[in-house]
Amino acid sequence: MSISVKVGSVELKNPVILASGTCGFGRELAEYMDLSKLGALSSKGLTLLPRDGNQGVRVAETPSGMLNCVGLQNPGVDAFLATELDYMVNSGAGVVVNVAGHSNEDYIAMVEKLDPYKDKIDALELNFSCPNVKEGCMVIGSSPNAIEALVKDLRKRTDLPMWIKLTPNVTSIAETAKGAEAGGADAIVAINTMLGMAIDIHTRRPLLHNNTGGLSGPCVKPVALRMVHDIYDAVKIPVVGCGGVSTYEDVLEFMIAGASAVELGTITLVHPTRPVEIVEDLLKYCEQNNIDELSSLTGTLELWR
Amino acid sequence: MKEEYKIKLIKKEVLGPTCAVLTFTCPEIAEEAKPGQFVNLSCEYFLKRPFGIMSVDKEEKTFSIGVRKVGKGTEKIIGAKEGDSFTVLGPLGNGFPFEGIRKLLLVGGGTGIFPIYCAAEYARENNIPCHVVNGYRCKNDAFLYDKFGCVCSSFDVTTDAGDLGMKGNVMAYLETINDSELTDTTVMVVGPGIMMRKVSEWAQAKGLPCYVSLEQRMACGIGACLVCVCKIKAEQEGKEFVHKRCCKDGPVFSAEEVIW
Repeated sequence: MSISVKVGSVELKNPVILASGTCGFGRELAEYMDLSKLGALSSKGLTLLPRDGNQGVRVAETPSGMLNCVGLQNPGVDAFLATELDYMVNSGAGVVVNVAGHSNEDYIAMVEKLDPYKDKIDALELNFSCPNVKEGCMVIGSSPNAIEALVKDLRKRTDLPMWIKLTPNVTSIAETAKGAEAGGADAIVAINTMLGMAIDIHTRRPLLHNNTGGLSGPCVKPVALRMVHDIYDAVKIPVVGCGGVSTYEDVLEFMIAGASAVELGTITLVHPTRPVEIVEDLLKYCEQNNIDELSSLTGTLELWR
Repeated sequence: MKEEYKIKLIKKEVLGPTCAVLTFTCPEIAEEAKPGQFVNLSCEYFLKRPFGIMSVDKEEKTFSIGVRKVGKGTEKIIGAKEGDSFTVLGPLGNGFPFEGIRKLLLVGGGTGIFPIYCAAEYARENNIPCHVVNGYRCKNDAFLYDKFGCVCSSFDVTTDAGDLGMKGNVMAYLETINDSELTDTTVMVVGPGIMMRKVSEWAQAKGLPCYVSLEQRMACGIGACLVCVCKIKAEQEGKEFVHKRCCKDGPVFSAEEVIW
């Protein structure tokens, strides 16, 4: 009985990864769970220089989810390397480092800074999808050609597995995934948050002071599942599913749709012990259903004809 | 390892049409909680809701919070019945620092009076002389009026309507205090932002240490998501400010470090 999975060359003890931006660098959640029981942690999105993030109200609750517009508040890649990377390594979970640039040059500079630490990092997650910053990220991630060109350039600069985290805010996520694959990516992570809005009817102003924000939580799960399915059909590289995962059944749904592993996060903000409970539930599920390898579920979806 | 506790509402004391004190059984929170800390409590909606702790009873293993209806979530929570189940995280955040404090002036307003009550109880248990000044809108809104009288050395109120205590806001009262009475006093204030700012400015002008408890829209309450940040001065880092997490780095901050 094994719940270990592989995302390309990256071996994880189970498919549960804490999604970027919902777990910091692991320190806060370590008070609530043994991080070593998780497949991996994906770091807070890093930028080349430290960022204060957006000002004012950054969160709005929505039905079965939430909008956020944090805006990549982070200490910058140098401070990460100095004070946070070793903490993540020592946590015992796999280490995924989320990289968010304002420009191609930013991504290049960060990948070059991170590459020397390849012994400590399992994968780089290139964030081409943050909806809350004005430049880079989602702008690059909306164009299959721009993705392909940038990934190709980054591929020359590192052997580290490169996972491309895609935005759902495009007409065809299969096309952006193909761009990433053509550029030499090792895996696709889908999806980042969906661009959304909430309005105060009394003041007639957006609740979020950034006006718009990224929607996450159980409400986005059906969209994320459909997109994982689309991507799985469109590319040969592995897919990491992300979007509203809250229970072990959700993990199974994503795997059946084609995911090799999943990321989850918004649920952790409500129930901080849930990720390890999901790991335990997955093991129980495999035992009760005589499934030798959990990874054998990936892509087993049978469509209605 | 910290946990998310499953708890039961054991007592609901209605204070008015939009306000109630709720008491829950939770040995862990009753044992650990300090004045100024908060809990993040489930409601029927997606996110939990943060509430400053109003009181703990270590013998009964209970804690209480004051809830005022400000939206859908608080409406659901106020509508709960005794015996209803909730989940909760807590105690969360940093409470007020009491070490070395000789004399307290506590100032409360809005739902801030609930954590102020917790601080007053603590002061009484630890024999710290404590003067409470609460600002209310009107007499009908003067929640915990009778209770405060029992937990502090002296208790004064102001009302906007003027139908109880001094007419005006808390600043009107504070201006009447003689400087001689303020020797060795530390100020703690919880209430609407404008009130905390004004009281902080007054305390600073008098040279009194002052602590405030900031409030922001929150999600996780444990420092992971970074949505509840507030601006804190960062001259030493060569910057005008840094964004600190209200939930994890606060909610209590020294007033002089806050950028309002």
